[in-house]
Amino acid sequence: MELPVSQILLVTGFFLILIGIWGVLAHRNILRIIIGFSLLDTGIHIVMVATGYVTGGTAPIIDAALEKANAAASAVDPIPSALVVTAIVIGFSVTAIMLAFARRLYDAKKTLDIGAFTEEKW
Amino acid sequence: MVEVLLQPLNIFLFGLGGSFLIPLLYRIAKPLPLVVFVLALAGIAVISAGLLLALHQGEPAFESLTAGSGPPYSINLRVGRFEAACAFSVNVVALLAATHLWERLRQNYAALLLFLLLIMGVNGMVMTRDLFNLFVFLEIVSIATYGLFGFDGTPQALTAGFKYILATVLASAFFLLGTALLYHVTGTLNIDAMIAQRAQIAGPIGTTALLLVLSCLIIELKPFPANGWGLDVYTSASSGIAALVSCVVSAGVFFALFKLLALFEDNLTLIAISGGATFLFSNLAGLRQTNVQRMLGYSSIAQMGLLTLALALMRQFGADAAMPLVVGGLFVNHLLAKAGLFFLAGAVNRRHVDGWSAIAGRPLILLIFAILLVAIAGLPPFPGFWSKWELVMRVATAGQYAWIAVILVGSLFEVAYMFRWFKQATRAAPEKASVDVPPGRLIPAGLCALLLCVCGYGAATLSGAASLWLFAPLGAGAFLCLLDWLPGRLKSSLMLILVVLLGVWIVSPVEGISRLFAVLLLSGALVVASASLYRADRRPGYYPLMTLLLLSIAALLRTRTSLEFFFSWEMITLSSYFLIAQARNAHPYALPFLLFSIASAFCLLFGFAMAAAANGTIDLAAFGAAGTDAWPAFLMLAAGFLIKAGAVGVHIWLPGAYSEADDDLSAMLSAVVSKVAIFGLFSVTYLAIRSEIGLDMAHVMGWIGLLTTFFGAAMALQQADMKRMLAYSSMSQLGYIVTAIALMSHLGWVTALYLVANHLMVKGILFLAAAGVILRTGTRLLDENGGLVRNMPFTFAAVATALISMSGLPPLAGFGGKWLLLSAMVEKGWYWLAAVAVLATFAGFLYMFRLAYAVFLGERKAAFSAIREAPVALIVPQYLLVIAILALSFFPKLFMEPVSAAIDPAFASTLVWDGMSLETIYGYWNPIPVMAITVVIAALLFFVVWLRYIYGYRRTPTTGVAVFYAFYQPRLSHLLRPVATAFWRGVSDLTLSAGGSIQKIYTGNGQTDSLYVLWYVIAIWAIGTLSR
Repeated sequence: MELPVSQILLVTGFFLILIGIWGVLAHRNILRIIIGFSLLDTGIHIVMVATGYVTGGTAPIIDAALEKANAAASAVDPIPSALVVTAIVIGFSVTAIMLAFARRLYDAKKTLDIGAFTEEKW
Repeated sequence: MVEVLLQPLNIFLFGLGGSFLIPLLYRIAKPLPLVVFVLALAGIAVISAGLLLALHQGEPAFESLTAGSGPPYSINLRVGRFEAACAFSVNVVALLAATHLWERLRQNYAALLLFLLLIMGVNGMVMTRDLFNLFVFLEIVSIATYGLFGFDGTPQALTAGFKYILATVLASAFFLLGTALLYHVTGTLNIDAMIAQRAQIAGPIGTTALLLVLSCLIIELKPFPANGWGLDVYTSASSGIAALVSCVVSAGVFFALFKLLALFEDNLTLIAISGGATFLFSNLAGLRQTNVQRMLGYSSIAQMGLLTLALALMRQFGADAAMPLVVGGLFVNHLLAKAGLFFLAGAVNRRHVDGWSAIAGRPLILLIFAILLVAIAGLPPFPGFWSKWELVMRVATAGQYAWIAVILVGSLFEVAYMFRWFKQATRAAPEKASVDVPPGRLIPAGLCALLLCVCGYGAATLSGAASLWLFAPLGAGAFLCLLDWLPGRLKSSLMLILVVLLGVWIVSPVEGISRLFAVLLLSGALVVASASLYRADRRPGYYPLMTLLLLSIAALLRTRTSLEFFFSWEMITLSSYFLIAQARNAHPYALPFLLFSIASAFCLLFGFAMAAAANGTIDLAAFGAAGTDAWPAFLMLAAGFLIKAGAVGVHIWLPGAYSEADDDLSAMLSAVVSKVAIFGLFSVTYLAIRSEIGLDMAHVMGWIGLLTTFFGAAMALQQADMKRMLAYSSMSQLGYIVTAIALMSHLGWVTALYLVANHLMVKGILFLAAAGVILRTGTRLLDENGGLVRNMPFTFAAVATALISMSGLPPLAGFGGKWLLLSAMVEKGWYWLAAVAVLATFAGFLYMFRLAYAVFLGERKAAFSAIREAPVALIVPQYLLVIAILALSFFPKLFMEPVSAAIDPAFASTLVWDGMSLETIYGYWNPIPVMAITVVIAALLFFVVWLRYIYGYRRTPTTGVAVFYAFYQPRLSHLLRPVATAFWRGVSDLTLSAGGSIQKIYTGNGQTDSLYVLWYVIAIWAIGTLSR
């Protein structure tokens, strides 16, 4: 009994998500927190791709190798992959913004410890 | 041409095109990006306006397809009425925000770009029908928001922005995961297709996916307690950005929730609980805030909670038809009011609530401020009021009273902290105002206020209550407000003319008891109001508000439905609050006045809602047919009116408000406005008795009334300040009226009306006389006055008449009133109550004599030898009232017969009336001969006393009376521990400390915030999965 690729991907993806969340919540260094978010994002992307995978499927290009009639059954669903591309772009820009904030926070306080940024409360 | 332009897609063309052009044009010439920005933003707004207009004219919803194919293969946009309305209102606020932020925006082209993208993104969130596209727009909005935080530059803004990023990125990650899984389950990303295939979204994956999407949306709306990150942003971002986050961004997310609501049918209770808890606890925590923007933040979060609650409940009740009024009204109300408040906060630029005393004496700023606060508190005439009413009615119909309690308690908290803020603005002496706001800075906030007024009328039309006479008081007030630059006496005359003309017109169709009240209150109000001619100063705001107050009273008497009643009631409350708040020393007392009044109003609202649920209509006449199961409604209504009447225990708002208000206003409040509560009590018990319910409550009410009388009198005796004494006296006299109403018999009610008339005249005279004395001697303290009888003989004569009439001594009207009351009580068998009434009457004698003695008799201070009589403008109204008292005393039938006729027809059918008829009673008591003799005797006695005083005791120090009072006061004060004050202070302290402890969960640590977000998501997932 061989483990399907999609299962492996799913497990990996969720594992990365958990690592990412742990990273966000457990590390006090802002850069590490940002890395946690990147891991979380990546995990979600992998899960997304995995949900579109069809075991033994081929690339979703309708040509000689893939007839229109059985495209739905034997081709990998292209939509999750398309979504992931968009999500990667968004994740990239968010990471960039977070890094920019991190830099300016460091400039303000000369530290990256998130515990140092608690002026506003209550 | 127009059709080509009027396409939803053009909004994105403007947004994206503008954003691309801005950096390009920046290289060419610096001002060009500004032009593009303005054009693009205005273009977006114009298109959304055009779409809304077209849809309003009956066009079908606009469908925009993309990529040359239809859904589900490509993204489609839809703009129906809701979308267009939401997009348009958001775009209007965006324009205002851009105006507000203009100085900041023009310095940096990147800020222009981000602003434009943000607005486009929100429009996209509103219009798209594709779930993933929704995610993309959400991210566009988020990224633009993050960027804008960065431009604020301060370290606090950066920190707060970073926390905001952490929380929202976490939330949107869950949204993305949920979207992907939903696609996995349904095979589509199209929202309509997903809703159509709702049944497929089941099993662990489908449910989890749905709950992830839901939790992201709820998190983005900043639910309690996972909202520390939102609060920090509201606190530290600049006012314009905070307004954008609070209004525009939240609007997009809220609309997304609305759009997806069909997917969350199973979780409506969960959504409602989340919203309700957020509303209640955020407002509770807001009570302790002193930072203006953070306070507005708490309010923003609370309002979004209320919106969420309303949305879920309306869907749960299947009341989609009421959605535009309830949800739409609350939405627009929050959008405009909160944005306006943020703009105003930015323009005034005082971070701390205390600093807002700087705007005292700036009429325009105060006006805008007041409008925005009244709107955000959900008070009339703004949209929030009509929405809240409808919401409460719907909830009551569904029988879920706990939600009404949540809504009303939360609203009360919000009123408390919002108006505590306003209190600061009325605190400073006007000449100390130090803030300098250029008029241009007020434009955005001012426009918000203006739009709120327009929308208020619109919402009234939607709820079917917009009628000319109901809004006439507001119109008249606004008209006088425009003429506020005129001299005071001219405005006073204008006010009197307006009140006569409009007042008579408003009450013209009124009949029965209401007509009696109308004649009594309107003529009394005119007489008392004419006293304001004694002041020559301009009194900014006073006359418009007084017009509003008096005409609202007239409107209240005309109301036929409980909605109209409640509207007029709230208008009376608000106008009296603002009038009281104008007095320089009234600020510590105006807030308790408002809070107790609003609490009273909310009791009424609760009662009306229960009655509407029981009767199936909001028609007041339906009360008469209510069954016995409507007793809780009557209980709430009676409680509301008793609070407003200043019954013992809930009277603590009364003395301060009455005594610190302007002197002629005190007369109005005590003589006329207090009768409004009596009218309410009358109408409710009147209707209760017709449906034969609530009769058991009558005895309790009788006791409440007499205890109020007794303690009012006893406390009046303790006072050293004549206005405070009169205030307590007012409370005491209202107690008699309450008892008379509680008698629930014909005789009792005739008595009650008789007492109402008597008290109106008496208190009018006494407060106006006090105004004259204070004007001449400059002091309100009894002991500092004295011996004024020779300086102010006319005032003294009027006061003496009033006191005799009030104390119940023959021959004047009060005697008749007491006589009637005692006989009614004895007839009913309430002997204990009759005994207390006698005791209270005795206490009444003591303080009334003291008033006359200390001010007019006794020893005259040397400084007062040159004092003149009070001005004619004060004397004339007093004498008009004296004439009325004499008429009432000597020709009671003139009054009794119409009263009797007004009450009779209703009673004849249902009330068992087996005693004597009124005619027989008057047959026994023919007052003319008795009264004539007593008058002669009293006049002779008075003359003798007068002569003895003038020729006999003038030079000897008459300390006897003073010693008598000095002896008794300490003894009585043991009886009168301030139990009620202590109790309410305890309640207030407890609430505040609860608010304080809730605040402590916001530690300010970004990771804690993220942890709360995670817990919240897990909680929603767990509850949503388990409740399935």
